[in-house]
Amino acid sequence: MNDSGRAIDLRDIHKTYENGPLKVPVLHGITFTIERGEYVAVMGPSGSGKSTLMNLIGCLDRPTSGTYILDGVDVSKLDDNALALLRLRKLGFVFQGFNLLARTDALNNVALPLFYAGIPVKRRLKLAQQALENVGIGDRGHHQPSQLSGGQQQRVAIARALINDPAVLLADEPTGNLDSRTSDDIMALFSRLHESGRTIVMVTHDENVAKNAHRVIRLLDGLVVADMVTEPAGHLL
Amino acid sequence: MIYFQEATSVLLSNKLRSLLTMVGLIIGVAAVIAIQVLGASMAGAIDGLLGSMSDNSFIIFPNPQQHDVTSAAIKLTDLQTIRDAVPGIVDAVPVAGINDLVRNGHNEGRYRISPESSIPFNTLPVQYGRHIDQSDVDAAANVAVLQHDAYVRLFPDGGDPTGQSVYAGPNRFLVVGVLEPPKQGFLNVNFAGQVAIPWTTYVSRYLRGSSLFAARFVTADPASIAASEAAVIKQIRAMRNKPELQYQSFDKSQVTQGINGVFSAMTLIVALIGAVSLLVAGIGIMNIMLVSVAERTREIGVRKAIGARRAQVLAQFFIEALMLCGTGCAIGWAIGIGLGALVNGVAIVRVTGSVPPLPWLQTIVIAGTFAVVVTLAFGTYPAFRAASLDPIEALRYE
Repeated sequence: MNDSGRAIDLRDIHKTYENGPLKVPVLHGITFTIERGEYVAVMGPSGSGKSTLMNLIGCLDRPTSGTYILDGVDVSKLDDNALALLRLRKLGFVFQGFNLLARTDALNNVALPLFYAGIPVKRRLKLAQQALENVGIGDRGHHQPSQLSGGQQQRVAIARALINDPAVLLADEPTGNLDSRTSDDIMALFSRLHESGRTIVMVTHDENVAKNAHRVIRLLDGLVVADMVTEPAGHLL
Repeated sequence: MIYFQEATSVLLSNKLRSLLTMVGLIIGVAAVIAIQVLGASMAGAIDGLLGSMSDNSFIIFPNPQQHDVTSAAIKLTDLQTIRDAVPGIVDAVPVAGINDLVRNGHNEGRYRISPESSIPFNTLPVQYGRHIDQSDVDAAANVAVLQHDAYVRLFPDGGDPTGQSVYAGPNRFLVVGVLEPPKQGFLNVNFAGQVAIPWTTYVSRYLRGSSLFAARFVTADPASIAASEAAVIKQIRAMRNKPELQYQSFDKSQVTQGINGVFSAMTLIVALIGAVSLLVAGIGIMNIMLVSVAERTREIGVRKAIGARRAQVLAQFFIEALMLCGTGCAIGWAIGIGLGALVNGVAIVRVTGSVPPLPWLQTIVIAGTFAVVVTLAFGTYPAFRAASLDPIEALRYE
């Protein structure tokens, strides 16, 4: 199914929002590919369309026109349920606001995607525990989100995003709610994940954060204005 | 399973809200269940109320508001004729009674002396001695069977009074039996007098003139009692050759039907109240579920982003509604059963003499049905709304 080695293949993606009679074009023909194992930052000022692009890449929305192939699957024509399954199997989301479920401990938060995937409970919790250990908080499994620091919550969120072994890890301002020191820790974690072969796409407006990526795609007014491979600076900065 | 755990934690984290939401459901279900329990007990209670009234006897009396009252009157001599002429009639007895001072030494009281046959109208078993038998009737014997309250008054020392005598004016009656105390509680159906004597004795001692107040007939088959009543009335009209004569009949099944009718009306009213309160409760549940969906919009967005399909989100909120309704109905059921058991234990037991069994299965089925119906009717839309949320919008929701 995936013989190209490409994680993401966007061809002439247009997105126009229709608000009643008003048509608001946001993306005007985006074309780029992301190979497996790449660590890409998507940057751009607000209104540039990076959130819309992120939603499309994340299979939360469909392009108005154009073709999007995610890990060998043409996403453009799929229905809602098929998109949900794709999100479940091929994507992992990390949000700015962590978005953990309240009243649910870290272990069960991480295990949630496996529940939707229909994995039996014992195996779910075992895998979730491993995932928590991989992000360095294996001892916090039974803490509620409210009992964890921001950095710990984001680690739980990352563990949750990775539990289904996704083709692409999508991060939307993953350090936006964190202080600089914690941000560095999280960025170090991302770099480590990249080194272990993860494909990461990260939306940010923070140049310092973007430096961690080895490629930066810049958007302006719904178009790609720059696509540069940078020296991966990693956590040494 | 995780759906149930999550629903439980959501409902428990909003304890007061969950409880208030359930109150309407609890009241509605409790009312319906309680009336079910009482309905089941009532069948036994009606029997208990009329328990001492023979169910194969019926009474015929002329309608007092008719033109030819004199012709309509049933005469003593008619009884034998009717008994011989109408098939299925095994006994015919005058219905009468006279209040007189009945004495036993210093102990006395005014009691109603009434005629009785060997097939008693009052079916209470005897505590002492025996009922009036056919030989008493044939011989017009001066014997009496006392009802329990008369026995207590006339024989305050207790003990077996058979063989002793009581006096009513100049008449002396040998006590041959005492009836057990009646179980009646609040509705005392008592057509028999407190001092029953053979009807032949009554005729010779007390009956003035030949017209009777009414007559009691005994049928062989209680099931065809209505037909027997009609046959007797028809026979009297034929004997008088006056088809316009009007008679009324009375039997146990009429009373039972009357009480049943009243109770059915009551049941209907309570069922309606229950239905209305369930409707109101359902709307309350729908409202709170919609609030819950709105509050958790972001959570729903996260679940969808993670890969929850529509049906999985639907299931989550549906199960939450089901648990809310299920818990409410369970509490309502428990209260309803408790109320019913309390009424059984306090009131019904006095009538029937025993605590009637609770209709466990029936009430559980009813409460369970309510839970499912209310969930389906009022939990579906909020769950549907949650499932239909756009994940992007939901994630943006603050």
